[in-house]
Amino acid sequence: MKTARLSRRQQLLIACAPVNEQPIADRNMRAAVFRARDSEEFKIQQSFDRAVVDLVQTVPVPSAVAEWLSSEKAIEQPKWTWKRAAKNPAVVAVGIAVLVIAAVFAIQFAEHLHDFPGSAHARKLLSVARSPRSVLLDPVRTEAGALSDLFFMKHNLEHYEVPPEFADFQTLGCRVFDDEEAGRVAQIWVVEKHMQFFLFPAERDTKTGIAPDFSNWRFVEQEGWTGAVQQRHGVCFMAAVRGDATQLAPYLNKLHSH
Amino acid sequence: MLGDAEKAEEVFEATLREAAQRAATGEAPADRCWLFREARGRCLEVSERGLQAEDVDHAQDELSAAAPDQIRRLDVAQLAIWISGAPEPQRTALALFYLGEFCRADILKIAELKTHELADLLSLARGQFQAWLDASFPLERTS
Repeated sequence: MKTARLSRRQQLLIACAPVNEQPIADRNMRAAVFRARDSEEFKIQQSFDRAVVDLVQTVPVPSAVAEWLSSEKAIEQPKWTWKRAAKNPAVVAVGIAVLVIAAVFAIQFAEHLHDFPGSAHARKLLSVARSPRSVLLDPVRTEAGALSDLFFMKHNLEHYEVPPEFADFQTLGCRVFDDEEAGRVAQIWVVEKHMQFFLFPAERDTKTGIAPDFSNWRFVEQEGWTGAVQQRHGVCFMAAVRGDATQLAPYLNKLHSH
Repeated sequence: MLGDAEKAEEVFEATLREAAQRAATGEAPADRCWLFREARGRCLEVSERGLQAEDVDHAQDELSAAAPDQIRRLDVAQLAIWISGAPEPQRTALALFYLGEFCRADILKIAELKTHELADLLSLARGQFQAWLDASFPLERTS
């Protein structure tokens, strides 16, 4: 055998190369035989082995034994089954990869299932709400609904109105600031449950330039805070509170229960 | 494996009887190579009770292109005696390999060998068999 052409592993396989005419199922063996097929030494080995096999075939088989072995193969090749396929390392690896990809897609899908235009800005403002950084605010003690006039008169912010559900909440203070993504944002602190209200421009569709309003409440969550968002006249209002949506539920149903 | 057709038939029947009994009691072996492992084990038991081949270092020759012609001049009984006289596990390896019915994986499983062990045993046996052929049926030298 020309050892330069065959690896040590292939040389070992060639030493065990079958001589029957059937296709070789073992891929490594098939590759080794393919590489060695033109070698003079391999041809001699094959003819040697074939001559021995032919001689063995002439061994007389007793009739009683021949009856048992007349029609069956000496050894049945394993059948393909799902169970065997599932134990194949390649199948297992592909299965795990598919599961991970599916899980990532499922998580992303679940996260964005309830997304709406402006939800990204709302989440960012929830981060602002939970931030411990001190900010300069105007100490205004009034009802939240009364601040829309202040926003219009002082900051020229039109339709920055607190919805009726939260309009009679007593405020602690407010401020107006520019956010890189959300634009001009009005932030209001109220006494009730240390809630914060945010008013910010609705996100417009990039193609149509329209920001369709929605009067039902939509929720966003971010790091332990929850926001209930409503959009009217192109302006989003968000009531933000620490905790989950149940913290806000009593206020959102208030009008309906009256 | 045994170099004796009568003993081989006894082992064959005993093995089938064992398989039938297991099947009847619902203990049919799941291992598809079980029959051959069982037969091999019984052959080893039988051969241990008989005459033991001497442990001799056989000469080796390089395989010859004329080997098929030499082999064709052999009587099959001579081949059976030569193989059955080989030490274990070489004997099992040769018997299974030259039956031409088993793939490498099956031979490794039945003979409880690794690929490199099987390769070494077969290569060694070829060389030894060639030397024996050369001694028994010398090639006619052309001068």
